[in-house]
Amino acid sequence: MRRVLLLLALALPAAAWADDLTAQQSVGQQVFAHRCGMCHREGGTGTFVLARRLGAPQSLLEQRTDLKPEYVRFVVRWGLMNMPRLSRVEVPDTDLTDLVAYLTRPRPAATP
Amino acid sequence: MKLILPPGVSRARFDQALKAFATVVGPEWVLASDEDRETYLDLYSPGRDESHAASAAVAPASVEQVQALLKIANEYRIPLWPISRGKNFGYGGAAPRLPGTVMLDMGRLNRIIEVNDRLGYCILEPGVGFFDLWDYLKSNKIALQMGIPGNGWGSVVGNALERGFSPAGDHSNNICGLEIVLPNGEVVRTGMGAMGDGKAWPLFKHGFGPSWDQMVVQGNLAIVTKLCLWMKPADEAAISIEIKLPKPSDLQWCVEALSPLRLQGVIDGLVRLTSFQASATVPTLRSQWYQGTDSIPDDVIAQMMQRMNVGWWNGPLRLAGFSDVCEANLKRVLDRLAKFTKQEFPVTRMRGDAQPGPTTYPLQMVNWYGGRGGHIGYSPVMPADPKLVQEQFERTRRRYQQFGLDYSGTFYIDGRAATNVNLILYSKDDEEQKQRVRQLFEALIKDAREQGYGEYRTHLSYMDDVAASYDYNHNALLKLNERVKDALDPNGIIAPGRNGIWPKAYRAHRGVL
Repeated sequence: MRRVLLLLALALPAAAWADDLTAQQSVGQQVFAHRCGMCHREGGTGTFVLARRLGAPQSLLEQRTDLKPEYVRFVVRWGLMNMPRLSRVEVPDTDLTDLVAYLTRPRPAATP
Repeated sequence: MKLILPPGVSRARFDQALKAFATVVGPEWVLASDEDRETYLDLYSPGRDESHAASAAVAPASVEQVQALLKIANEYRIPLWPISRGKNFGYGGAAPRLPGTVMLDMGRLNRIIEVNDRLGYCILEPGVGFFDLWDYLKSNKIALQMGIPGNGWGSVVGNALERGFSPAGDHSNNICGLEIVLPNGEVVRTGMGAMGDGKAWPLFKHGFGPSWDQMVVQGNLAIVTKLCLWMKPADEAAISIEIKLPKPSDLQWCVEALSPLRLQGVIDGLVRLTSFQASATVPTLRSQWYQGTDSIPDDVIAQMMQRMNVGWWNGPLRLAGFSDVCEANLKRVLDRLAKFTKQEFPVTRMRGDAQPGPTTYPLQMVNWYGGRGGHIGYSPVMPADPKLVQEQFERTRRRYQQFGLDYSGTFYIDGRAATNVNLILYSKDDEEQKQRVRQLFEALIKDAREQGYGEYRTHLSYMDDVAASYDYNHNALLKLNERVKDALDPNGIIAPGRNGIWPKAYRAHRGVL
C-alpha cells in the first residue's frame, strides 16, 4: 500500500509540494489519495461535476482554500448532490480527522 | 436516517444484540447512529429511502469474527445483509432489501491474498476494490488483465458475486473456488479447496461432487470471505475497430454480421453496441440539448449525434491476442462487415497491455437532469438473434417514449445470448418523473416476460417482481431456492429477500416496499 500511495503522491501536481505538510496532514493526503482521489483528482467524475457547478478553479478539492472542517465532515458522511456517502468503515473517524486537516490546512497567501 | 428495527425485534433486544456484536468487533465497528444509517442508504433509489433502510452496520475484520457475529445474529434473530464495498449503484448501492436489516460490512476484510501470474488467478477478500487490485498489478509489474465494470469504485469480489460484467464477459464465470461461512457459522471451502490443503483450489472449478460456487452467486445461503478469480494473461496486441452506425435500424444487420464471429471465437469479448445517448449523458447536461419533458425527439437526436460525432449505435470492437492472429481476425471481421455495408470502420492498433484502468468517470451520468440524479438499469437476457434484438430495441424505446423518458440502451452481444442493459436516468427531486420511471420499469418487466426474456440482475425494489417472472411450473425454481434457504438458514439471518428468495421467518415481506 505504501508503494501505491507513493506512486499516487508522485502524480500530484507540483503545486502540492509547495506545502509543508504536518505529519497529520500527510496522513490526510494519503487518505485523500486512497478514498477520494478516484473521483476528486484530475479527470475524476467529482472534479468534472464540480467544474460544471462551480467553475474549473474550484473543481480540484486539494487546491481549494475555502473548505471548512465541518463542511468536509458533513459532505463525506451525508454526501452532496450526486456524491455517495462514505461510511465509517470506508473512512473511519480518525482518517476523516486527518483528511479534514489536509483539505483545510492553512496555505501561504498567494503571491501577487 | 431514523432507526427502523428489524421485524419482530424490540428496541431493548436490538440494543442487546448490538452490545453483543461490539464484544466481537469492538464498539468502534458497530455503527448505529442516524448518520451511520444514512451512509448505507441507496443514494440513487427511485423509491422511498425507508423501503431499504438499514438499522445499523457491523464490520468484522476476520473470518472468526464473521462466525461469531452469525452466532449472535441467530440468537437475537437479527438479519444481516453482507456487502463487500457497497458500490452496487443502480441496483441498491449499500442498502438491504428488508428495512431494519443490519449491514454486515465486509470492507475491512481487504487483503489481496495471492496473485499468480504463471497460472492466471488471484485470491481476494471482499473489501478489495478494482483500484486496489489495479494498483497492486501495476506496482508489482504483473502482466494479468482485469475485467473492469463501468464503475470501477466497487469490490472485485462483490461484482463477481452479482454477475457483473464488462466486455470481457460475465465475471462470475471466472470464479474458481470460494471460502464461505454458512448461517450456522461453519466455514466451507468449495471445489478443490474442500481438501485441507487442496493445491488446485483456484485452478479447477468443480472438485468432486456437486459444485457450490454458483449456489452462492446472487444468493443468500452463505457469506463469502475469500474468492478465487481467474485472470487472463496480458495480450501481445490489440486492435480496436470503431463501430459507428447511423440509423437505429442498423442494429439488426450488425448483430447478424458479428454474432457468428463471436460464437466462432474470432471476437474474443462481448460485442457492445451502445445508443447515442450514452455519449451525451456523461459529458453534457440534458438542458444543453432539449427543454421538453417528453423523450428527446428525433431532430434533437440528429443534432446530438452530429455535435458529439457519434452514431445511433456505437461501440469499439476489440480484438486481442497474438498480433498475427489479431491481423487475420481483423480481416475476417472487416470482410464480414463489408457483406452488409459499404461503410468503412476506422482501425486502431495498440499494445495488448494498454488496457485502460478502473474509473468512476461514467458515474457523472446521474447529473443528466442537473441537480440530484438517480439511475436504475433494466437488463433482460435474450437470444442473440438479429431480428429479435431489433424488435426488443424498438419495443423498449417505444416504452421510454410512452413514459416520457430518454432512451439509453446497450446490447452486449455474445455468441448465443444478448444482454440488453437499459439505463433509466431521472431527477431524484421530481416525484412525478420518478413515478413514470417506476411505471416504465414495470412495463419493461411485463414486456420481457411476454417475450420469454428475464433480467440477469435487478434493483432491490424489483427483486420480487423479477423473481416472479421466472415462473415455470408455478415458480418451481423459487420454491426450490426457498426450501434450500430454510434448510441452511432456519432463522433467515442472511440477506432475507435477496433476489426474491425469502426465508420463512420473513416471507410475509415479499412484495412489501
